[in-house]
Amino acid sequence: MAAAAGSGTPREEEGPSGEAAAPQPQAPTSAPGARLSRLPLARVKALVKADPDVTLAGQEAIFILARAAELFVETIAKDAYCCAQQGKRKTLQRRDLDNAIEAVDEFAFLEGTLD
Amino acid sequence: MASSSGNDDDLTIPRAAINKMIKETLPNVRVANDARELVVNCCTEFIHLISSEANEICNKSEKKTISPEHVIQALESLGFGSYISEVKEVLQECKTVALKRRKASSRLENLGIPEEELLRQQQELFAKARQQQAELAQQEWLQMQQAAQQAQLAATASASNQAGSSQDEEDDD
Repeated sequence: MAAAAGSGTPREEEGPSGEAAAPQPQAPTSAPGARLSRLPLARVKALVKADPDVTLAGQEAIFILARAAELFVETIAKDAYCCAQQGKRKTLQRRDLDNAIEAVDEFAFLEGTLD
Repeated sequence: MASSSGNDDDLTIPRAAINKMIKETLPNVRVANDARELVVNCCTEFIHLISSEANEICNKSEKKTISPEHVIQALESLGFGSYISEVKEVLQECKTVALKRRKASSRLENLGIPEEELLRQQQELFAKARQQQAELAQQEWLQMQQAAQQAQLAATASASNQAGSSQDEEDDD
């Protein structure tokens, strides 16, 4: 159940950021079960806490944020795929994501990510 | 999770998790590597965005801890209101599991014995233990006494050179 959080990723493919290939700790045993999120909750929590303004975030808040992030990935992937199809391509390219980001107002915050 | 060189800002969602999600969302679709990389970064940005907004909402609300409600409001205000209904399902799941856990632990504690009875049994055990302790202490005390007396007698015997006919107990308790 909580295994969904870890997504069975024994090896992290982190780049040069110095993260060791340590397996992600599973969500705490008190974590809700079933398909909670495919994102490792500990990592989501770490990301939230990386914000210096954030003092405390409750566990449930982290759970739903993880789920929201999952939905976001699904959404942006599908949007990008539409762009690929319009371009009559079968492989999703980076530019499809760029287009999706530009096309959707809510994704405006991502424009800084494109380099 | 100790990263010696990187600071917290280098954190991202692990690539493998993103790959899995992409695969489930778009089965049988090839995705270029740099596209995947971008999705990882976007996901990270999204988390920062929502948590930042939720934090602001939380600060305004005199609460110290970001709650699910704050996250939901953040999603709404940033244009991701369509995610809310699914996200609420997670919340429901949380509560259900928490409830099950509480029930399970209380069932275990009770073991079918009512609380007053448990209390009574506890008192009994305590009383018993106290008694045993007292008896033990008294035995030790007696033994010490006897040992002391014998030592004294031996000292007296050697001092006066005569065993003495009476070896009365000197002290009565």
